Amino acid sequence: MPDAVEIPGRVSPESGRTAIICHNVTKDFGSVRALDGINLEVRAGTVHALVGENGAGKSTLLGVLAGRISPTSGTVHLFGLELPYGVPRVIRSMGVAAIYQELMIAPTLSAQSNVYLGQPIAKRGVLMEKAMRHGFDRLCARFGEQIPADVPAGTLSVAQQQLLEIMRGLVASARLILFDEPTASLPPRDREALFRVMADLRADGVTIMFVSHNLDEVLGIADVVTVFRDGRLAATAPAKEWTKSSLVAKMLGRELAAKESAEATGGQEAQYEPSRNESRVLVRVEGLTVLPAIQDINFEIRRGEIVGLGGLVGSGRTTVLRALAGLQPNAKGRLWIEGKEVPWPHTVRQARGFGIALLPEDRKGEGLVLTMCGADNVVMSDFRTVARAGFISHARTMARASAASADFGIAANRLSEMSANLSGGNQQKLLFARWKHCPPKVLLADEPTRGIDVGAKVEILESLQRLAAEGKAIAFVSSELEEVAAICDRVIVLAEGRQVGEILGKRGETTVQDILRGAFGVEAAVD
Amino acid sequence: MTERHLAKDATAEVAHNPLMKLLPHLRALFTIRYGMVWVLIALVVTASIIQDSFLEWGNIRNILQQNAPVGIVAVGMTYVMIGGGFDLSVGSIYGGAAMFYASQAGDLPVAVAILATVLLGCTAGGINGVVVTRLKVNPFIATFGTSSIFMGAAFLYANSKTFPFREESFRTLGSDRIFDVPWSVVVLIAVFAIGAIILGKTVYGRSLYAIGGNNEAARLSGLRVDVLRASTFVLVGACAALAGILIASRIGVGQPDMTRGTLALDAIAIVVIGGTSLFGGEGSVWRTAVGLLILAVLSNLFDSYAVQASTQQIIKGAIVVGAVSLDSFARSRR
Repeated sequence: MPDAVEIPGRVSPESGRTAIICHNVTKDFGSVRALDGINLEVRAGTVHALVGENGAGKSTLLGVLAGRISPTSGTVHLFGLELPYGVPRVIRSMGVAAIYQELMIAPTLSAQSNVYLGQPIAKRGVLMEKAMRHGFDRLCARFGEQIPADVPAGTLSVAQQQLLEIMRGLVASARLILFDEPTASLPPRDREALFRVMADLRADGVTIMFVSHNLDEVLGIADVVTVFRDGRLAATAPAKEWTKSSLVAKMLGRELAAKESAEATGGQEAQYEPSRNESRVLVRVEGLTVLPAIQDINFEIRRGEIVGLGGLVGSGRTTVLRALAGLQPNAKGRLWIEGKEVPWPHTVRQARGFGIALLPEDRKGEGLVLTMCGADNVVMSDFRTVARAGFISHARTMARASAASADFGIAANRLSEMSANLSGGNQQKLLFARWKHCPPKVLLADEPTRGIDVGAKVEILESLQRLAAEGKAIAFVSSELEEVAAICDRVIVLAEGRQVGEILGKRGETTVQDILRGAFGVEAAVD
Repeated sequence: MTERHLAKDATAEVAHNPLMKLLPHLRALFTIRYGMVWVLIALVVTASIIQDSFLEWGNIRNILQQNAPVGIVAVGMTYVMIGGGFDLSVGSIYGGAAMFYASQAGDLPVAVAILATVLLGCTAGGINGVVVTRLKVNPFIATFGTSSIFMGAAFLYANSKTFPFREESFRTLGSDRIFDVPWSVVVLIAVFAIGAIILGKTVYGRSLYAIGGNNEAARLSGLRVDVLRASTFVLVGACAALAGILIASRIGVGQPDMTRGTLALDAIAIVVIGGTSLFGGEGSVWRTAVGLLILAVLSNLFDSYAVQASTQQIIKGAIVVGAVSLDSFARSRR
């Protein structure tokens, strides 16, 4: 497969040489020090992973290397040249390609145009479509992927879009590829494919640096792992010298928390047991159909129960939740709340009237009002409780908001900050606090742990369990199947918009395998 | 960032000294957040130095009276923009309202005429609200279109007549004074005060910040986003009608094309200069007051030095661009 594309500057293996040298890199955002005197050396042709809690500084360092963020002090050398700042063109010409979690894809342009975005093959200003098609086909062949060249990139899967970005980097002769959370939005099968691509690139001498919260992946693919804590470089060492628990301990800077999180993310059986004496059915769904995404979904959730919706990305899990939340006007089906049949909700307010609330997958896009402070974000689920005769009381807002967020571990003094300044974990906790302030009967949690650091993940899973213990019915969607297995009582497995099974939860690895077997159909059961 | 500063300092240094408590607040005054306040102060100081009569009550009264109509519209526009909208049709509502009010002089009691005109403005705003939220037309295009519709309807109603006042009581709001304060200035100040309280202190106001800051999040939290957004258009319609009443009763005649189309842009300029975000979710009524005063003081200076209208336009345009770039700069540092 190698040598399928000639890419200048990458012909001779560069391993052994130094790709990146960071010298005393410091970055302040106002009064906050995001990076504090980082010294780091990365050898060319290696895969280097950056791990740490949210806000530890790893994404900032990635931004510095990509030339997107200029450091307050310190220097960075790439392949022996000092990195300039604020000129993306120059930095790209030095062979740096950055691939962010939010992909930089022009959704209406074709797949091929996206690959050649910014560096089209042209003669005197006229595009050479044939030459570009040739290059595109060869890049596809190299990765063993068949991406149709002419379809709008927005219609491709996330994995394919990501591959387009990698290909774009290669067209620009990238020698260093930076990935921010590359696997966060990929289903398991595509993750494997991405790792193969990364290994392949490394074999060709490309240096890769990536940020990830998934420690199994980090240990599996990286050569060297660097741990960040509070803006400082806590440790850097070859991957084989790390274990999952030593990484977590380094990240958190405390041993105890490491044990807890290893338990929760390691797919162990959770100790929590819902009280069975109150197992009345709170919500029942029959024949839920939202064309074309899902068809004929049936399930029920009892009081105090967490029901997972298992399956791959794109299997219709999110659509089920959104239909229940009143966000799918074309949803059809029958719905019972506490034994009483109600019409299917077609607006959010209808759903809220039935006591159904959604924790959306897209925290920033659909969850928080980033321009408001944390406290306002909490009480906005019901402003009237902090107002008298229509006038909002600031004191009562703060009191109610801190009462609601106390359970979820947000410090009260952070509630007056703009929510845009909080870390992903704290933002997610704010959304939990919002529904604590105005409690629903049914909570739909869509990927509540995505992009959140290890410590906060555990807290959020515990929050879900606590809410269930209070008598709520919870529907839970997560791409981390270990999480689903750990906290769900039952799991409804979906595949391509259809319900393919219902399995028992809380059986650790067995549950995970059952979900995967169901989701992949017979195919996966064989291997 | 500033707020974070405050919180930290306040907890770190337990205030034995009341001065220490004030210090962080004083420091906050010197940030970009309050940049436009300093611009206003500088302008007022400059004006009072180079023009002796500037601080005389007669001049101040004059400034306020002249800017009362556009100021009132700007308050309504603040609501629309914080809710994430935009309204280009206020000029037409204003002209139509002025004409309608004038046409009723002598036929209706003055209080009833005022009420009817304001209701007319609400109706026009309601149409905008429905077009934006129900027909899902982008506010910019929607109000661009309705502006033309309202203007045309007003001309149709006027049937190429103008309406000079036959009834003197209809001129009270525009020309009379109470304790040497013109009624229009009383109305202006009342609109600003009530506008500031409702936006800053009530559930309604806070909900507007929420829908302007993130419409989806507000919807998922159970807010009636469409009703809220439409209501801002009704409010600005009412403000425009009130402003139209003031101008008609001041100049003593009503006709549909009173503003030559600049009122909407002037009001938007005032809101933006104050520092309210074009993208919704951020801003306040006091900012609009600052924006209004900056432009008003500047016009007053220009007029007293007989600066050409075209030069005035260039400078005002530059201020709008400058204010917005200052705002984006502050935003990027956050």
